[in-house]
Amino acid sequence: MKQIALYGKGGIGKSTTSANLSAALSLAGHSVLQIGCDPKRDSTRMLMAGRLIPTVMDLVRERGASAVTPQDVVFTGFHGVRCVEAGGPEPGVGCAGRGIIATFQLLEKFGTLTGDIIVYDVLGDVVCGGFAMPMREGYAQEVYLVTSGELMSLYAANNICKAIQRLAARPKSRCRIAGVICNAKNMPREEELVAEFARRVNSHLIQYIPRDRTVQLAELDRKTVIEYDPASEQAQRYRDLAARVMENSRLTIPTPLEIDDLESLARQYV
Amino acid sequence: MTSNPLPASTCRTAGCTLTGALSVVTQVTDTVTVVHGPGGCTHHNFSLLSATALDNGRPALPPLVSTDLRETDIVFGGEEALDRTLTRVMNGNPGAIFVLSTCIVETIGDDIEKICQAQQGCPVIIVPTAGFLGGSFQAGVNNALIALAAMAESSAPNGRVNLIGEKNLEYEVEENYAEVSRLLSLLGLSVNLRFVRNITTDEIARLGAARLNVLRDPALIPVGEYLNSRFGTPYITGFPIGLSGNSSFLAEVAKTCGINGTDAVTRERAREGELLEKFHDLAGEGVFFSPLPPDPEGRIAARDLARNVGLRFSDQGNPVPVPVIPPVGLAGTERLLHRWRRAIFA
Ligand code: SF4
Repeated sequence: MKQIALYGKGGIGKSTTSANLSAALSLAGHSVLQIGCDPKRDSTRMLMAGRLIPTVMDLVRERGASAVTPQDVVFTGFHGVRCVEAGGPEPGVGCAGRGIIATFQLLEKFGTLTGDIIVYDVLGDVVCGGFAMPMREGYAQEVYLVTSGELMSLYAANNICKAIQRLAARPKSRCRIAGVICNAKNMPREEELVAEFARRVNSHLIQYIPRDRTVQLAELDRKTVIEYDPASEQAQRYRDLAARVMENSRLTIPTPLEIDDLESLARQYV
Repeated sequence: MTSNPLPASTCRTAGCTLTGALSVVTQVTDTVTVVHGPGGCTHHNFSLLSATALDNGRPALPPLVSTDLRETDIVFGGEEALDRTLTRVMNGNPGAIFVLSTCIVETIGDDIEKICQAQQGCPVIIVPTAGFLGGSFQAGVNNALIALAAMAESSAPNGRVNLIGEKNLEYEVEENYAEVSRLLSLLGLSVNLRFVRNITTDEIARLGAARLNVLRDPALIPVGEYLNSRFGTPYITGFPIGLSGNSSFLAEVAKTCGINGTDAVTRERAREGELLEKFHDLAGEGVFFSPLPPDPEGRIAARDLARNVGLRFSDQGNPVPVPVIPPVGLAGTERLLHRWRRAIFA
């Protein structure tokens, strides 16, 4: 079983990428579980025909953990992709990080964490130990960074490298960086920049995904691109990504950049 | 806080902020204290407080209630749990409710003030504790004393003296109190309020009536300052420590209160002399302190006392104990000398 996590700056398109990746993986014949780890709970929406499924944390809050069953939290979406949303507290109260930890422990207890591949779609930044949870404890062993060529999203990706590097130093940790996905903003020389960034942090660019109107259209139709327009070029990009993820065995410990180096790298590609 | 882990060096007055504040507020007998956090924070403090009460010969269960937060409260916020607990406690009609926070609720950011303000029935007083954020045991004590003092109105002066911040967790708290009131009586003064030891909310009203505040130790200066600015009461810092502490205490009280204390001081000096005389058999014996007290004040007082009775310091001598908290007044000094004599001639 492969366990991968997609991390990256908020708003960079992790959920879109995750959902399309899961859909493509499923169509390729794999059994897929996608877990949204953001309190916003919009990770699996396009796989569920636009439906916001109940979250683990909402149910735990309403009924208490002991009254929640696997059937309550695991939903089957497009082409059999199993979908879970961790959820979390209302913004501004409580501890969402602890919520992530509690969710994983519950899913583990249920025996839900099975399949050929689990895709963890994790909140924008690793803000605390709670959000690093999928990387810790051997849940997500392969981390993919989703970034565009914009400085801010590279900055977030670089930060996540720091987290992986730190966690990788733990004796039993199996958490590694598996690659960088460029979810482009269609800036000039963007692919080159992100590829170079990936190389500098001791990883590689695994897939370039151009910005494409089809994504918006699919979203308005409450579908993944894979489902909405399987013949499109964009859908092919996601299928390529899925194939590469399944083949990928290049797992490394990242070497995050200093801020100055990151900035001068970005400057070279302006 | 002592970092020496030897059992003999452990000190009850070195816990977390919460412990410090609880050692004060649980002495207001007609109140209930709500500790907002996981049950454990309350439990170990509860054990400590009840064990201390038992040791001091007045078995009593401290009026402590925990909001008993569980994982779901931590994830979603503990405000509801606090609200529920306060409503339940309110039903028992306490004189006041104190609300203390713990590490975890400061981490998750509950709005304790909002919840407390919404409660009606009796005063609900937030005592800043905040576990790791609050700092030390002493900060807890100070914050609790200031929060309690805020409940008092100014009242007509009655010429008596307040004792501020007695160490409720120390073994000798009553003996120390007796010693200090004895000394005050030599100057014709009496105790107005033990702030805070075994009092009710009503009694707090007397706080501002005193002519002098005697702080238990110098770490309480912020409390002394607060009371001074609120009620204009002057303060002196510290109970009398070690030999000759008594006479200087008397002199200081007399001076601050504008009383002639010469006579009292002379009489007390004579008593000190008599005490040393009682232990003249110790002169010339070799001793070393074991374990060394972590508190420099205690070390200085013990060294001073040893010199005065003619003890010699030597590594080959007898190990003699030194208490973590230095002895108060002549009674405390005498007690310590008895222990030394036992150690030397054992
Ligand atoms: S408040 Fe913090 S330090 Fe104090 S007992 Fe609770 S967890 Fe421990």
